Amino acid sequence: MSLRRSWRALSALAIACLLAAPTLALGQTEEEEDEFDPSLEFELDPYISLEIGPLDLSINKAVIYLLLAAIICIGVGIFVVRGGLRQRPTGAQNLVELVYEFTERQIARPTLTESVFSRYFPYIATLFMFLAVSNLISFIPLPVSHESGTFPFGIPDLGLYAATANINVTLGLTLVTFIAYNYEGIRAHGPVGYAKTLVPPAPRVIKPFIAALEVLSQLLRLVSLSVRLFANLLAGHLLIIMCAGFVVLLGNFAGILAIPVGVFFYVFEWVLIAGLQAFIFAMLSGIYIGFAVEAAH
Amino acid sequence: MAVASTLANGMLQVEGNVEDAAKVLALGLATGFGAIGPGAGVGYLMGKTVEAVARQPELRGEILSLMFLGLALTEAIVFYALLMGFVAFFIG
Repeated sequence: MSLRRSWRALSALAIACLLAAPTLALGQTEEEEDEFDPSLEFELDPYISLEIGPLDLSINKAVIYLLLAAIICIGVGIFVVRGGLRQRPTGAQNLVELVYEFTERQIARPTLTESVFSRYFPYIATLFMFLAVSNLISFIPLPVSHESGTFPFGIPDLGLYAATANINVTLGLTLVTFIAYNYEGIRAHGPVGYAKTLVPPAPRVIKPFIAALEVLSQLLRLVSLSVRLFANLLAGHLLIIMCAGFVVLLGNFAGILAIPVGVFFYVFEWVLIAGLQAFIFAMLSGIYIGFAVEAAH
Repeated sequence: MAVASTLANGMLQVEGNVEDAAKVLALGLATGFGAIGPGAGVGYLMGKTVEAVARQPELRGEILSLMFLGLALTEAIVFYALLMGFVAFFIG
């Protein structure tokens, strides 16, 4: 083997070990416990309790991650624009222009109609960027585990958590899209006209049944849009945690064979699923808004 | 559930909780059955994508973009089933 090839193989092995580090970090935290329950990683204990009457506005893990994603998105934008936009972009401006061009050409243009484009392109682009950043930062091991012991001063162990692995986050965003596309539909066609678009051309006898089915499928969009993102992220993270803690789960060291599987899932999720799910959410939001405005049965 | 588990324990000489066994079974079955449909769907999608690109290589970019859309939509069905399995296992 040439020097270059052996160097490449060695660096690939080093990268694999580095990527295995977070999964191993998760596995080691469970050594003292009798039971290995990965669902405890998704329990939200408040860091700062803020209960205003019936509302629980405590700052917990998910809130911190959401704030982090928002700060990254806004920060990058401000950082690029503050320095002055140049005709020949370099560095960060290049990256932001890439994201802008991607969201405009691939997501917003094919889905939104001309009448709503200027009003909803910022929403679709923000949706994509926020969800992509939110999904991507969820694979960085941060000290947010439910256990502590490795670090002094009671700082929790390293763990993975995704803000979008919480149904409340995805449902909130879905509700915004739901209200947006219904509002646009009623704006474009009038309330009666919009209701008429839900009734498909069909023989008079079965029209009411198919209309009911259409209404049901519209309501199910709420469920499908939110659960798709939520379940993707939750299942991905649970799989990684379970693969990392397989040694504890089995009780003997044969579980070490699950570590490469965990690393594979980790890389697969981070590289593909994180960005893809954000793209899908933004694209479907655009499609729903576009359909609601231009629908004509 | 207590009656059923006592009966089951008596009849089958089972060690352990029937409820826990049922939860594990639910998770396994949900994952297994939930992967059948989308597995076939994704394979079909990929096959059609390859065919389409073979017929018109100049549309490769657009077809790939549509493929990713379809991929995510069919993959989501797996996670609906997996989610129900998790609900049965951790909450049920």
